[in-house]
Amino acid sequence: MNLIRWKGNSLLDPVREMERLQDEINRLFEFDRAESGIGLFDRAESPAIDVVERDDNYLVMCDLPGVQLSDLDVSAANNVLTIKGEKKGSRSTKGAKVYRTETWEGTFQRTVSLPSGIDAGRIGAELSSGTLTVTVPKREEDRPKRITVKVM
Amino acid sequence: MNTKELETTDRGIRYDRPLGRISEDEGVVLLRLEMPGVAKEGLTIDVDGDLLVVTGVRAEQENSGRYLVRERPRFNFRRTYTLDETVDRNRIDAELSNGVLTVSLHLKEEVKPRKIEVKGR
Repeated sequence: MNLIRWKGNSLLDPVREMERLQDEINRLFEFDRAESGIGLFDRAESPAIDVVERDDNYLVMCDLPGVQLSDLDVSAANNVLTIKGEKKGSRSTKGAKVYRTETWEGTFQRTVSLPSGIDAGRIGAELSSGTLTVTVPKREEDRPKRITVKVM
Repeated sequence: MNTKELETTDRGIRYDRPLGRISEDEGVVLLRLEMPGVAKEGLTIDVDGDLLVVTGVRAEQENSGRYLVRERPRFNFRRTYTLDETVDRNRIDAELSNGVLTVSLHLKEEVKPRKIEVKGR
């Protein structure tokens, strides 16, 4: 099973990519990068996941504390499972003094290549206590079969 | 509120440290801790003298299968903060929603900025 960290931009043209990187490094010195929503600072986070294989299904678990159900989008196409959405800030921070922030907010995306032999039509997802659990059932014929041997 | 942290390893039990955000607004210090997988039943918040100890027991991890990828923290959460004199020990509220714990620490009345009304004659 392959996992692809989402890069966002096209990596097809290396020269273009180098120029873009150069631009971004130059932009670092402009001290106003906070608002620029592209490039190195686009803050598209890849949340951590666990993938567990069980006899009948795969479980993909992802920690998304503070993400509302309406801001979450789980989709599967061509054996690629995509978890994306937006994590919005806690509350209005107007007038609040912030002492310390270790958490992130903004958009996130994570892509998981699923193995063949899954039943994409029956993928289920559940968000509970800030943990997303996606259940990907295996197709009937790909499940391990128990063959009972009869003693004659 | 002092944000100094302490290492918490009592009797060799390992904990993961939840990520937090501390802000202050209108006399209330808001401590927001991300504890995914922790339900209300698994959460304990203790105030012991100057220490605020938050412990969150994660829901049972999946262990009937084989982990192909394992990136998430796997231990229970614990984090300790020290409270200073300005926090009213009797007015601490906590709320857990979507795996995010918000602890509201009210400051004592006498340390809040006070507006003095000027009486005109």
